[in-house]
Amino acid sequence: MAIVNPGKRPGDRIAKSKVFGKKFARGKKGGYAELMLTSLVDMFTILVIFLIQNYSANGEVLYMSKDIKLPFAVHGAQLERAPVVSISADAVTLDGKQVAQTDDLSKGDVLNVPELEDALREQKRIYDQIHANDPEHPFRGLVNVQADKKIQFKVVKKVMFACNQSGFGNINFAAMAKGADKTAAPAAPVN
Amino acid sequence: MAGAAPQETGGKGKKKALDASLNLVPFIDLLSCCISFLLISAVWTQISGLQVASSGGPPDEQKKEQTIDVKLLLTDKGYSLNVAGTSIDIPKIQDKEAGMTFDRKTLDDKLKTLKSTLPDQQAITVQPEDAVAYDDLVNAVDACLGEQLHAVTVAPLN
Repeated sequence: MAIVNPGKRPGDRIAKSKVFGKKFARGKKGGYAELMLTSLVDMFTILVIFLIQNYSANGEVLYMSKDIKLPFAVHGAQLERAPVVSISADAVTLDGKQVAQTDDLSKGDVLNVPELEDALREQKRIYDQIHANDPEHPFRGLVNVQADKKIQFKVVKKVMFACNQSGFGNINFAAMAKGADKTAAPAAPVN
Repeated sequence: MAGAAPQETGGKGKKKALDASLNLVPFIDLLSCCISFLLISAVWTQISGLQVASSGGPPDEQKKEQTIDVKLLLTDKGYSLNVAGTSIDIPKIQDKEAGMTFDRKTLDDKLKTLKSTLPDQQAITVQPEDAVAYDDLVNAVDACLGEQLHAVTVAPLN
């Protein structure tokens, strides 16, 4: 019979237990601390799933600016890539490039905005050149208009007129999506 | 390292552990890259578009189907729904925070009634005054789209 030190002698299962085994451990303690990575992996997986669910393949269509506070809308459709006309309290820009002063547009009664019309015509010309041999993507005259919620219709009207004059008759008013329901109206068909 | 399996007990000689430890480090690397990419490319602002036709623009096919002339006027007094010459006024209401505002709820009800009496009607013309704010214009267009009036045309009032 083997000679053993006196004292408590645990069973095999208890001796191997992480919780109770330490009580009966003899000799030096190891300096290696094991990290519990399982919970970290769980957390990462949940994060990835959440981010993939919220992922938008369309990307950012509009140039968000601090000067422009968009109104809310419930029945909006997803925005498509198109030239963006932004109207802030200070300036009217096309794809980030200033084309007119808002003050100037809010004063006179003349509807024309020549700079904007020229810039839009240039956009149309470029589109036509690029898609000259592409009958599947005809020019649809789509333009996105984003304006600060306090901007008067007098200014918006002139921008719309300029878009119309340049061949961009299908206008998308940008708005913040608010509790978009599933019966949201589809975008009107565009020719 | 993670992994768990029952320990083999009994038998002769040394026990062979059935535990197989998974190497989680490359998996964590992959997840970290995914999270970084998704965070950088995420779009946090949900923006939608309300498609309208500008008056004088290219004629839509839906306009041809328009049977009754429906107009929604936005004036400083409120909404005015004009259906085939008959006008329904929806005056502004007092709001505690914003002061006098357009009565969106009543407009929704009136448009619902209109849609129930004219189910095939898809076209409507929104005509705001010059002083009407973009917010109110978007609200009116949103109300029309909500009642399945998809062919919205925006035209100046005067």
